[in-house]
Amino acid sequence: MTFTILGIRHHGPGSARSLCAELEKLRPDCILVEGPPDADALIPLAAEQELIPPVALLLYVPDNPQQAVYYPFAEFSPEWQAIRYALKNGIPVRFMDLPQCNQLVVMDEQVLPEDAAGQAAPGETHPPDPFAMISEAAGYSDGERWWEHFIEQRRESGDVFAGIIELMTALRTGSDENPAPENQRDLLREASMRTIIRAAQAEGFQNIAVVCGAWHAPALMDLKKLIKNDAKILKGLPKTALAATWVPWTFDRLARRSGYGAGIESPGWYEHLWLVQTNLVETWMVKVAQLMRAEDLGISPAHAIEATRLAETLAALRGQPLPGLPELDEAVQAIFCFGDESPMRLIREKLIIGQRMGKTPVETPVVPLQRDLAAAQKRTRLEPSASPEELDLDLRKPLLLERSQLLHRLNLLGIPWGKLREARGAMGTFHELWQLEWKPEFVVNIIEASLWGNTVLSAATNKVNSEAALARELPALTRIVEAALLADLADTIPDLMARVQQVAAISADISHLMGAMPPLANVLRYGNVRQTDTSMLRQVVDELITRICIGLSSACSALDDDAAQAMFAYINAVQDAIGMLQDNLQVAAWARALEQLASQDGCHGLIRGRACRLLFERDDADELTATRMSQALSPGTPTGQSAAWVQGFLHGSGQALIHHPRLWQIVDQWVLALPEAMFSASLPLLRRTFSSFTAPERRQIGEMARSGGRGVSVGSEVMIDSLRSEKALALVKLILAS
Amino acid sequence: MTTTLLREHAENQFAEELAELAKIDTHQRPPNWKLSPWVVATYILGGKLDNGFEITPKYIGSRRLMEVAIATLATDRALLLLGVPGTAKTWISEHLAAAISGDSTLLIQGTAGTAEEAIRYGWNYARLLAEGPSERALVPSPVMIAMRAGKIARVEELTRIPADVQDTLITILSEKTLPIPELDSEVQAVKGFSVIATANNRDKGVNELSSALRRRFNTVVLPLPATLEQEVDIVRRRVESLGKALELPAEPPALEEIRRIVIIFRELRAGSTSDGKTRLKSPSGTLSTAEAISVVNNGLALAAHFGNGRLNANDVAAGLVGAIIKDPVQDKIVWQEYLETVTKERKDWNDLYRACKEMME
Repeated sequence: MTFTILGIRHHGPGSARSLCAELEKLRPDCILVEGPPDADALIPLAAEQELIPPVALLLYVPDNPQQAVYYPFAEFSPEWQAIRYALKNGIPVRFMDLPQCNQLVVMDEQVLPEDAAGQAAPGETHPPDPFAMISEAAGYSDGERWWEHFIEQRRESGDVFAGIIELMTALRTGSDENPAPENQRDLLREASMRTIIRAAQAEGFQNIAVVCGAWHAPALMDLKKLIKNDAKILKGLPKTALAATWVPWTFDRLARRSGYGAGIESPGWYEHLWLVQTNLVETWMVKVAQLMRAEDLGISPAHAIEATRLAETLAALRGQPLPGLPELDEAVQAIFCFGDESPMRLIREKLIIGQRMGKTPVETPVVPLQRDLAAAQKRTRLEPSASPEELDLDLRKPLLLERSQLLHRLNLLGIPWGKLREARGAMGTFHELWQLEWKPEFVVNIIEASLWGNTVLSAATNKVNSEAALARELPALTRIVEAALLADLADTIPDLMARVQQVAAISADISHLMGAMPPLANVLRYGNVRQTDTSMLRQVVDELITRICIGLSSACSALDDDAAQAMFAYINAVQDAIGMLQDNLQVAAWARALEQLASQDGCHGLIRGRACRLLFERDDADELTATRMSQALSPGTPTGQSAAWVQGFLHGSGQALIHHPRLWQIVDQWVLALPEAMFSASLPLLRRTFSSFTAPERRQIGEMARSGGRGVSVGSEVMIDSLRSEKALALVKLILAS
Repeated sequence: MTTTLLREHAENQFAEELAELAKIDTHQRPPNWKLSPWVVATYILGGKLDNGFEITPKYIGSRRLMEVAIATLATDRALLLLGVPGTAKTWISEHLAAAISGDSTLLIQGTAGTAEEAIRYGWNYARLLAEGPSERALVPSPVMIAMRAGKIARVEELTRIPADVQDTLITILSEKTLPIPELDSEVQAVKGFSVIATANNRDKGVNELSSALRRRFNTVVLPLPATLEQEVDIVRRRVESLGKALELPAEPPALEEIRRIVIIFRELRAGSTSDGKTRLKSPSGTLSTAEAISVVNNGLALAAHFGNGRLNANDVAAGLVGAIIKDPVQDKIVWQEYLETVTKERKDWNDLYRACKEMME
């Protein structure tokens, strides 16, 4: 009745290889793997062909899925190899640890963060990777490198695990003045592990293999000594109900940068170490070369040869038997990238971290996101139905607003249950028209989306944050901002704003900045309703306006007709936004920018006319405007440009011309001052603008011109249906009376 | 022995250090190397030897970069040092050649007028006419000398050399041989031969290396100083020594004023403020440390001859605007944005903001 303790390095491919060899030698009749016993029932699923790592065991509190723990496994994780080995050979395999139903409660004082991705599996946050500590002390960049040099290359695998126990015992004892810290949770976990080994022994297994993190190995050696103590400390621990399932995982998640505690910096590199046994450096260089070729960078096999040589020389210069990732990176940068650092990011993303995503079979129990969605559907009384149906939502009603938010969030998550139809009438009504259709394959979308979080809200929030981080262009980013607002993802707004600020700062395209203004100004104006942090937004908008005002004049030079049309719309939009914000400093800066435009040579007439008109409305500068007008329309100017100027100046202002005496005067005086010949020459371009006004407007303008611009009553020009107006009058009376 | 030379070659100036290093060098040396790669690294990066001898650092910065450079030469590959002006490219190439070959004088200065003869070989025409083509009539280039002796040849400003002349290097670097068709012979490189070239990576389009040539080099990009403190230190030391040389009657500049200039340069270069909160556009110029030094010097000269002898914001502003605005349209926008979004917000920078605003109007 023996048991063998196999201390491993979590996610260490070298460790996994030693373990496989050791298991072949041991031929155990039972394998115990460090992991949550709550998930024992899920182990058989690991034998399925469709369960493809990286995957994670997810354990969560059904009532509160945000309280959850992930145990990720990659192909090269020793635990995974142990499980697969056991299932392949029909050996009983169990998890061994303090059950998570206890751990989650014990951990309760440390409230878990909401962000699922940021959660560390509590089983692995403490202690820090002991191999990382050792390799750092030995001057290695990575625990895996250390493992390779000191353990793999010895080739006497029989002693490996005994040596590890010895090493860990020394590490755990620490020096006398500074004993290694042992926290309460680790004590509980190890007591629990011992109890489970004892139970397996009691069942009569003769040759038990115990696979656990190396750190715990020394504590499991002596089973007899602590029987009573273990029973005592494990007695009466609080518990909570738990559900468990497999979820697909990604290398990106496995990497440390996503905040996962026991993560590894370079899953892709580890996979390479696991899959490739010989010619490690050469194969890696060829992979890099192929990746760069796929990106249309001309890389030849000669590059790969030279990079391999340099990496090996570097390793020799640094006194290492084999190049590690840093040496490979430096060689790649010097030879493949010609010293340039930017392609290294691509290599990091695609190769070193890798983009592998796992899969889970259909039989896998449902994920918490699915539960949360079901709850939300129940709450909003919106049942999935396979037949298409229309849904008209009045957003003033809380329930219907919630429905709309749910649908928007699902769309963000790539679960297109509802499709938003163009609202009837103008934009910005209180109504949204949806077309609903539930498809069975959405289940897959949900599982994919569950990578982002365990509730619809948190998943949508995480996804928006991640997309925003990737967005490089301002218009894409403002679309995300709008979507986030529609889906009511208040938590994302501060980060989104910071991102907008960043992107705006380096955006060279002023029209992008201008296009971003109106939605942001809208949020700023109505932001209080949604309780978003407007101070931050305010700063962003201020900066945007500053940048727009500085860059406007150069953005408006040398525009062709189409570009001028677009810019014209942007200028109007910014004018509206600035008018809405009512900040005097901004208004002044904007006016200065417009002044520059109004008198800028080489600027399209449409833009100059518009600038002149906007200034006229602000400053009451009749004389200046008159001068500008006659300059712009003087005989030397090409006719197309003058026509555009008039169009810009008067665009859509039929009514304004009628009701704005000074505007009327300016145009009138200009026309009157024209010499006979010039007048005829100007007629076509005036006609072009005036023909865009409605017929009644034109008639009214004609009347005014006949009477010298005075005394045209508005009423007489409008056709009044007396019957219909009487109806309205009754209502007006009612309103005035009340 | 005192010398009347304005500047000594590295191998003479640091002869004592090189001798001390050779004494303690027990590592294996590649053929024809005066020192082993390990000891070359110590020579470049500085350190204290076991016998207490102090080696001055020739390069302050990343150790790993220097290791890549030395390892490159140890693999018989050519080394290309890239970087904006003022990042010590030439300095490093000189010291590497001095430490590895004991000779930093096999130098070709690349210019638009550099001809093939400068890289391959020329002829002594008097002798050529008198005796016909012969070994004695041949004038070897530094590269040819280096090939025969197994030393390092240096090419400065490689990208300024016309493209067709650059390509002469291809055969030399890949076949390690230099054919002399006139004599029906060739010069084959002895072990230890290599080339260190330097080029400015901001001078895009001067004479971009052909991909065939580029492939023969391992490229090391020398970065600008990594930290604010390091850069302020470099600027301060340099300004002080230059100030002495120019005999300016001004007070040495306050550290704060230097700091401010270095911060502006670093922020514009990095495209974000030093607290990382605001993104900025970067101007088209390089804004190297050397330019920061010249802004301070220029300001000092202004202060000394036209001001009160103390460097203040007005003295600095003119130089700053001149250094930053290289492209009158794009850079002006960049600088205005910087003034309005960053300088204006910093309360104790008000004097600088006003001075710069005046300059712009």
